[in-house]
Amino acid sequence: MRFLAPSAFALTALVGPLVALYMLKSRRTRMVVPSIVLWERAGLSVSSALPWQRLKITPLLILQLIVLSLFVAALARPFLSEQSLLGPHTVLVVDTSGSMAMSNRWELLQDRALGLVADASPAQIVSIVEGGPNPRVVTAFSSDPEVLARAMESLTPGGGVERLDEAIRLARGLETPDRPTKLIVLSDGGPTGTPLESEPIINAEHIAFTAFEPNIGIAAFSTEPSAEGATRLFLETANWDEAAAAREVEISVNDLVVAAVTMDMPPLGRARQTIPVEAGPGDMVMARLLGAPDGLELDDTATISVGRPHSSSVTVLGEGSIFLTSLIDASPFEVAEGDGADLLVVDGGPLPEIDRPAWIIATDEVPGGMNQIGTVQNVAVSFQQPGEPMLDQVDLSQVAVAEAQLVETMEWFPLVRAGDVPLVLLGQVNGQRVVYFTFDITHSNLPLQVAFPVLGIRILEFLAGGGAIVVEPELAGTPIVVSPPPGSTARVTTPSGVTRDLPAGTTLFRETNEVGGYLIEYTDEDGDPIASDVALRKFAPNESAGDFHELATVAPSATDEFTGQLVREWAPWFLGALLVFLGIEWWVGHRRPIRARRATVTVQ
Amino acid sequence: MLLEPDFRAQLERLALRSDRRVRGMWSGSHASVQRGESLDFADYREYTPGDDFRRIDHSLWARLGVVLVRLFEAEDELPLRVVVDRSQSMNFGEKWPTAQRLAAVVGFLTLAGGDRLSPLATPGMAGAPFSARQSLRHLGGWPALEDWIERLEPEGVAHQPAVARFVAGQTSQRGPTVIISDFLGGGSVDALDTFGYAGGGVALHVLAPDELDPDFSGDLRLIDSETGDEVNVSTTPEAMASYREAVDEFVAEVAQRARRNGIEHVLVPAVADAHRQLVGALVRTQLVR
Repeated sequence: MRFLAPSAFALTALVGPLVALYMLKSRRTRMVVPSIVLWERAGLSVSSALPWQRLKITPLLILQLIVLSLFVAALARPFLSEQSLLGPHTVLVVDTSGSMAMSNRWELLQDRALGLVADASPAQIVSIVEGGPNPRVVTAFSSDPEVLARAMESLTPGGGVERLDEAIRLARGLETPDRPTKLIVLSDGGPTGTPLESEPIINAEHIAFTAFEPNIGIAAFSTEPSAEGATRLFLETANWDEAAAAREVEISVNDLVVAAVTMDMPPLGRARQTIPVEAGPGDMVMARLLGAPDGLELDDTATISVGRPHSSSVTVLGEGSIFLTSLIDASPFEVAEGDGADLLVVDGGPLPEIDRPAWIIATDEVPGGMNQIGTVQNVAVSFQQPGEPMLDQVDLSQVAVAEAQLVETMEWFPLVRAGDVPLVLLGQVNGQRVVYFTFDITHSNLPLQVAFPVLGIRILEFLAGGGAIVVEPELAGTPIVVSPPPGSTARVTTPSGVTRDLPAGTTLFRETNEVGGYLIEYTDEDGDPIASDVALRKFAPNESAGDFHELATVAPSATDEFTGQLVREWAPWFLGALLVFLGIEWWVGHRRPIRARRATVTVQ
Repeated sequence: MLLEPDFRAQLERLALRSDRRVRGMWSGSHASVQRGESLDFADYREYTPGDDFRRIDHSLWARLGVVLVRLFEAEDELPLRVVVDRSQSMNFGEKWPTAQRLAAVVGFLTLAGGDRLSPLATPGMAGAPFSARQSLRHLGGWPALEDWIERLEPEGVAHQPAVARFVAGQTSQRGPTVIISDFLGGGSVDALDTFGYAGGGVALHVLAPDELDPDFSGDLRLIDSETGDEVNVSTTPEAMASYREAVDEFVAEVAQRARRNGIEHVLVPAVADAHRQLVGALVRTQLVR
């Protein structure tokens, strides 16, 4: 044990005066008694001219010496130095994927993380990065245990897939130049096949959470309208146990139970069923596994919404192409002439005034917010924004472009790029949503791709906003595209009932790690509702397995500057003991002497 | 009022008794050291001129030829003295009220039995070593006795040897003496020898509970209430144990000294009902019947 303030031991000199007080004769209390004869007979007479007396070791003196020792020791601030996982700057990467809800993994993670941040000394700073489907920095560069604890407690595992590679990139971005940064990844490692498997993480440690319990989950749940006017549900359940299982699944439409089926699953196998139910457009259909709770509860429910028909109209300006015309004809959108259309498709030519949502394809001049600095030839798509709903299941990797405008922008959001050359951008013009293609689609092989009609209809649905989006469950963590009608603001209510008012101009709502239905409401300037949408997020099926694998890390050397020392002070314990002994001392000092009294006083 | 009416009524049913023969001024109910006129035959003695002819035993004169006179037992009143120690050392706790009530109990018993009571107090008034009140007889003297006792106040230093010598000098009256004292004064214990010579009696040894078992703590300077002498005492558990041992030895010493002189010793702790307890103790020791 060492001391932070050893100079306090100088106060041990107080022992001298304390002992001296005990050696001084106390002023005697004068008391008149009938006679001193008996006291003299007892030989108790004590008298001396000296003010000192021989030191008597009394319990009171011993207690006071103990109290003084504890007081001095507390002032000296004793501490024990322990090895700590924390370095001068530690970034905790916290996995909030669905598999972390398996068994008690999350509780163990919270305990461990809270223990770590509680040990943070003022000299150590800690950052926390959420490693869920939408990695983000939760808190940065804090040494306040309360702030860090609150940040940790704000996290919960959702239903999405972890993106630890992205989270670690974020963590790397937090590295501080003045102090070495260490990463602590609190994760189960996630399912196999992640990019991190073969790339060791430098200066990092992986704290693994491997608790596992047999699990049965809903692997797939979808719907499509049937010819009879009813709706056919497709249900698939997966059994992650090594024993066969039969579980009942309850189907409800708008919270009213309409059906129940039994799913017989072989060991580590799946079961599938098609179930017809009476449900129409806009109805919410929920499947729920019944029976005893299993290792993972988040995947025991799934929700879908029966889609609604479209009713928007489109006007095509510019050159137009057979591909665009065919696309619009095949879509649920109607072609309208003039200013009455809801959407605008501008295919080349001059840039018209944008007064409604528009899909603009390589106009002569680029929209505001971007600058054209040239053109490029013969480029191929190398990047498409992950998690973007418009690009979900859309493969553009084979798209090649003969010529494209080279633009630079800080305001537009690139969805598709060829290297550094943006090909598809998302932005706003005059407050209207706009998707801009920097290339003429006829100068590319895009129209020949299978993905083209899907992409086109997705773009139109996105631009139409409001009730034009077909609601299909996406993986938890997938951002919700918010497309408020002109002049309206958006508000999102999460499955747990939390309401978020989104700032104007927000196009994506990313906090979608929670499984279930999200209600998106659009209100005008007066707060009156204009339209509403529902977005569904489902549990990522591959998280149901609760797989675990060790992440490859390269830990900091124990001898280098990453080694953290945890200073655990003992002064509070000494103060507590001091108070206890002080109480005992008070009691001993003030109690009546305990002695045997004579028996009952009687005449003898 | 020293004694409650109901308690006095109980006392009236009791009477003092003496194992020794007494010599009183008036006849009474106690065996006298003199021969008298009772019906109890006591002895013979040769006739001397002046004897009552009616007491000559003619049958013995005829048979033995010696003129003998029959002697009979005499019964005198019991001349009892009560000596009250009113020294300053008695002015502690309940000691003095207890001593007053004890004196009252003894006095009432004496008067109720038709015996003679001579009350004495030491120290006496105006610096005298003791004062003696005129003797009293019969219950008619109770109010005066009660008044005398109530007027006494503790002060000064007791002179029990002087009282003892005075009592021993009263040869015309020989009877027991009841000494009510804490026996802490100088010569108090030695005076028991003289009291024993004067006719024995009872020593009512009055000590306060705080004297028997003091509840002191800390370092003290104790001051003698009579002499003003001082002593420093530290009330450690060992010291208090030594004190209690000394008290026991002191009480035993007084008791032994008293009994050696034919005086019954009764330790009376100074508590509120000590006078009631005393009656029981006197009955047990057969001083009262």
